[in-house]
Amino acid sequence: MRALTTHGLSKTFKVKRKPEGLSGSVRALFKPEWKDKIAVHSIDLAIEQGETVAFLGPNGAGKSTTIKMLTGILHPTSGEAEVAGFVPWRDRTKLAFRIGTVFGQKSQLWYHLPPIDTFELISRVYELTRADYAARQRDLIERFELGPYLHTPVRKLSLGERMRCEIAASFLHRPQLLFLDEPTIGLDVVVKQRIRELIRERNRREETTVFLTSHDAGDVEELCSRVIVIHHGGVLLDEPVERVKRDVLSRKTVRLTLAEEADLSGMPETAGVDIRESEPGRLVFSVDLKRIGIEEALNAFLGKVRIADLTVEDPPLEEIIKHIYGSQAREEVRS
Amino acid sequence: MSTEANRVGGIWRFLLACWKANFASALEYRLSFFLLAGMMLLNNLIWVFFWQLFFSRFPVVQGWELRDVMILWALSAGGFGWASVLFGNYGRIANIVSSGQLDVYLSQPKPVLLHVLASRMSVTAAGDFLFGWLIFAWVGDHTIRGFLLFVAGLLLTGLLFMGLMIVVGCIAFWYGNSEGIAGQVFNSFITLTTYPSDIFRGVARTLLFTVVPAGFISYLPIGLIRSIDPAFLIAAVSVTFGLMAAGCTLFALGLRRYASGNAITVRQ
Repeated sequence: MRALTTHGLSKTFKVKRKPEGLSGSVRALFKPEWKDKIAVHSIDLAIEQGETVAFLGPNGAGKSTTIKMLTGILHPTSGEAEVAGFVPWRDRTKLAFRIGTVFGQKSQLWYHLPPIDTFELISRVYELTRADYAARQRDLIERFELGPYLHTPVRKLSLGERMRCEIAASFLHRPQLLFLDEPTIGLDVVVKQRIRELIRERNRREETTVFLTSHDAGDVEELCSRVIVIHHGGVLLDEPVERVKRDVLSRKTVRLTLAEEADLSGMPETAGVDIRESEPGRLVFSVDLKRIGIEEALNAFLGKVRIADLTVEDPPLEEIIKHIYGSQAREEVRS
Repeated sequence: MSTEANRVGGIWRFLLACWKANFASALEYRLSFFLLAGMMLLNNLIWVFFWQLFFSRFPVVQGWELRDVMILWALSAGGFGWASVLFGNYGRIANIVSSGQLDVYLSQPKPVLLHVLASRMSVTAAGDFLFGWLIFAWVGDHTIRGFLLFVAGLLLTGLLFMGLMIVVGCIAFWYGNSEGIAGQVFNSFITLTTYPSDIFRGVARTLLFTVVPAGFISYLPIGLIRSIDPAFLIAAVSVTFGLMAAGCTLFALGLRRYASGNAITVRQ
């Protein structure tokens, strides 16, 4: 069953252009100039119920605008969409009962009240029966481990605690489809991990479709089964995560803190290892896991450097996207 | 029928939950709550003192006596008070629209305008509402008829405040940041509702019953409370409901043009 389809979905904003300086401001007062800014350009999507989709792109690519059109917040300039069987901007109220939204930068929790009070309000917003609300609340509190801060005003919660409450609140009415816009922004590694686990669990238990934007490769790798990359408002890539992992996410970044300065000038090149930065006390290199293992890559440096500390990271998402753009451009040249 | 009854029941339960949350949120800062409400009450009482001094020198001005001006203040403050306590966002629509704060309301299954309006409680307005009833207790007509007429006056006043401010706030959908103009309209409207309408003549009086329709509040003590003037009452009710209808229509049309935004927002 289809959870979501779009056809030629586009959104153009009119943006005022002001010439530089005070004289520009005065001119703009009498003769304002407007320019069309294409935020989303003819996007076609088809997502099945229960899928977990990462919707990626650099800043300004149109991710948030697309989510806002799919949730009925924005009206499109042209195109069609059907979400959970409804046209979002026409049947916004009916659709809202079926979907949940988490905007990392727009909280639905009341800032001065404890989360439990917002849960109560949300239960009224979604017209849950008292018995259903009580059972649902108990389940989410237990699974999201909200007990310790359920009665603390939101303003006094840490960002991680707040996000956990935020996501639990969005699951309260059992949405068929959950839209998450940067849900792990600003969170530490442990909290990110926990939030991913909780979303994955809901996806498995309730077959909730997850549509997520993120700048974190970890969210994509651990949570999603499919990746859609958009650029300049259009779809650039739409593939299973496994394939993207094989082609792109196979690279890891290794950061070494060195105990003493190292001289790598005479060191032979190792296939699959690409040195990114080499400074006194610091060495950063990327490892292509398709060609060489982490341990093997580290072995190449043993004896040449003294390691004080070591971290292995996913490459930043921007780098992954850059790589995808590169591959796409190469394919276009080839074809 | 039962579906419609369920829908209306759902909206009432939702409104009650909103008001409870607003009140609980205001009580998070108890001292601030009582100070703000108390200061507004005091502020209004100072004006009562001023008008008392004035009417002790000039007992009748254009047919208005001290009692009429007191009732005017009671209606203006009380009407503004209940509207701002229960639907405290009506004066902030321009800001909410232009700063992209409608997203959360639009993603939830309740009427957007009602949800926006009921999501804030003005604490100072609780003092205004109390002031209105104190003045009624002092100079009002303590019969059932007097009580009902006063309640009707409060209702019309509050709805007129809301209708006008929703219409002005909706300008933000078309012209972006219109907080300035909304603030100016609000200030001139509230000021003009506290002066007897009969002291204005000519163009000023025309403006008072058209562009800034404060006259439909400031004539209530004469046209509704002292004796019912049917022509005035029909006009006042029509303008009030006309403004409310215009506000709801403009808001619904404006939502098609809503552009959202990327500001970080929290619900207070």
